[in-house]
Amino acid sequence: MTMLEAPGTKATSFNERELQIVTVARMIENARTYWVAGGGSPMYTILLGKRLYAPAAQYITEDGVIAPEPMLPFEPVMTMVASRPAYQALAWGTMNMAGNHAQLGYMDYGLLNCLQIDRYGNLNSTAVRGDDGKLRHFGGPGGADTIAAACWRTIVMTDQERRKFVERVDFISSPGFLEGTPEARERAGLPRGTGPWRVVTPWAMYDYDDERRLRLIAVAPYVTVDDVLAECECAPQVAERVETLAVPTEEELQVLRGHLDTQGQTTGVRSGWVVLEGERYVRQAGG
Amino acid sequence: MNVLAEGSAPYLTVDPDGFREYVREHKSRALEPKLTSAQDAVARFVADGDYLVYDCNYLQRGPSVLIREIIRQGRRDLWLCGKFTYVDVGLLVGAGCATKVDCGFFYQGKAIDRALDEGRLEIYEYSNVVMTLRLQAGAMGVPFLPVRSFGGTDGFPQSGAKLVEDPYTGRPTVVVPALNPDVALIHAHQADRYGNARVFGTGIAHMESALASRKVVVTAEEIVDTEEIRRDPGRTSIPYYAVDAVVHAPFGAYPGTCAGYYGSDTAHVVETFAAVGRDGVAGYVEKWIDPFANDGEMLAKLVGDEKLEQLRANETIREGYRP
Repeated sequence: MTMLEAPGTKATSFNERELQIVTVARMIENARTYWVAGGGSPMYTILLGKRLYAPAAQYITEDGVIAPEPMLPFEPVMTMVASRPAYQALAWGTMNMAGNHAQLGYMDYGLLNCLQIDRYGNLNSTAVRGDDGKLRHFGGPGGADTIAAACWRTIVMTDQERRKFVERVDFISSPGFLEGTPEARERAGLPRGTGPWRVVTPWAMYDYDDERRLRLIAVAPYVTVDDVLAECECAPQVAERVETLAVPTEEELQVLRGHLDTQGQTTGVRSGWVVLEGERYVRQAGG
Repeated sequence: MNVLAEGSAPYLTVDPDGFREYVREHKSRALEPKLTSAQDAVARFVADGDYLVYDCNYLQRGPSVLIREIIRQGRRDLWLCGKFTYVDVGLLVGAGCATKVDCGFFYQGKAIDRALDEGRLEIYEYSNVVMTLRLQAGAMGVPFLPVRSFGGTDGFPQSGAKLVEDPYTGRPTVVVPALNPDVALIHAHQADRYGNARVFGTGIAHMESALASRKVVVTAEEIVDTEEIRRDPGRTSIPYYAVDAVVHAPFGAYPGTCAGYYGSDTAHVVETFAAVGRDGVAGYVEKWIDPFANDGEMLAKLVGDEKLEQLRANETIREGYRP
C-alpha cells in the first residue's frame, strides 16, 4: 500500500532527496511545535509542510526564534541569527530559551539530521571512525543533543548509506534509546517519555518496534526492500508489511524548487534522479 | 549528592566565590566612559591562556573585529567556548592562538584536523545548549546547573558533566559545571559609552556570556547617548557594570551579517570556509589581517565603501532591529 499520499499531480521526474523532504513534510501536523535543526533538509521540510499541509504547525530554531514567517530564500549558512529566517516571528529569544522550552515539554517534535544512526536510534554528528580505527572528529552535535533529548519525538533525516546505518554509532552525539533497555534514557537523566520516532531517507522510512529497535516500514517506489537492506551495515528489523512511499507531487516540487531551495543547495546534493518509465519509477544511472 | 557517573575531561575551575571577589576587586561600578579601540581592548583584556567566549560567530553578529585583532596581536593558548560557531575556532586554532576548545558545534576543516594530529589542540565534548547552560550557571553565580540533555551521550565521559541522584526527586540528573570565562567578546547593535549594550534580534547567549565573564569587551555598530538608553530601558541587554571596554565598530561583524543592519559578504564567507577547510588560515591572515594596523584600515582598503554600502542595502529587513 502506498503511504502518505498527497493530493496533486504525481511528478514524473524528481530527485531522491526531494522524495525524502516531501515525505516528512506530509507528516507535519497542525498545532504541534517542531524544533528544527538549523540548516538543510529539516528546515526546508518544515517550511514545505507548513506551506502545503499544516499551516498551523509552528517551529523554533536554536537561536530562540519562535514561530517565524520567514522571508525566503535564505542565503547559504544564514539560517540562524540572521534576519530572513527570523522574520515576523512571534518571539525572539536566545539559545537557553529554546533549550528551556524543550526541557519544559513544549516541543512536540525534533527534526534533525545526522552523520550516522544505529539500531537503537542513537545519532552521531561528532566523530566517525576511519579505516585506521581512529575517530575523526567532525564538529559536534550543536543543538541536536538537546533536540534528541528533550523534544517528545525525534524525526531524523539522513542518507541511505551502509556506513550510516550501523550497529552502534561511533560516537553518540544525540541520544536515541541508548543501549536499548527499558528506561535507559531515564536512567541517563533524560526526560521521561521522549525518544526516537521516525527515520526518513531518500529511499525508506523506519519506526521503532516494541523493543526500541529500528524497523523498516516503507520504501520508495524505485527501490526494493533488499536494495535498502544492502545499504544498511546493520540490518534493521523489517515490518511484516513494508509499504511504498508516495512520490512527490508537482505542487510540492514547485514550492521546493521555486521558493525554498532555489539554488538546489540541499536537494541537489548527493541525490539520484528518478523518472517515471512506463508505470515504474526508475533511478537513473550515475544517481 | 550521590554521584552516579562523571566525565573525566578538564574543565575551567568552578569558583563562584572567587568570581564574586574578582567582581568586588576589579569590576568598576562607576558610571564611567569606557570607549576605546579594538587594539587597546584586546591588549588590555585578552591575555595569553585566557578562557574566551564570544557570542554568535564570525558569520552571524559575532565580534569578528576582535577575533581578527586577537590574531593580529598573536595571543596564545586560548581556551575557546565553541558553541554555535562555524569558522572562528578554525581561524583561531589555525593562526596558533587557541589550544583548547569546549565543543558545542564548529566547522571542522583541515586546519583543525592538522592541529589535532600534531597535538596542538584538545577538544572537550559538550553541545550548544549544554554550553549556554554552563554560561547560565556562571551568570547566576552558582557552581553548577542540572540539565535535561547530554545524559547517555559519548560526549558525557569526555566532558566535565556528572550524573547525580537529584536530592529532590531522587532521579538521575545530569549536572554541568558553571562556566565563568576569563573574557567575553560581544558584538551589539548599540551601546552607550558606559557599556549599556543593546542587542536586537535573536542571540545565542550574549547576556549570559557577559555576566558570567570576568572581563567583558562590547563592540557596537553604533554608540548612542545614555539618554537614548534611558528612554527605553527594556532594550538594554547588558548593563554597564558588566562591561570593561566599549569599542565603536561599524561593520564589526564583517564578513558576517549583523541582522537588521547589513548582510554578510558571501564571497568572503566562502573564503573563510576555504581557509579553515583547506588548512589555509595563514593565507587568510596574510591577506585580511596582517597588512593592516586595524580593521578600519582593512575595511577601507580591501572592502571599500561601495561594497559596504551594498551590504547595508542587502539587509532589507528593519522591523525588530530599531527601538
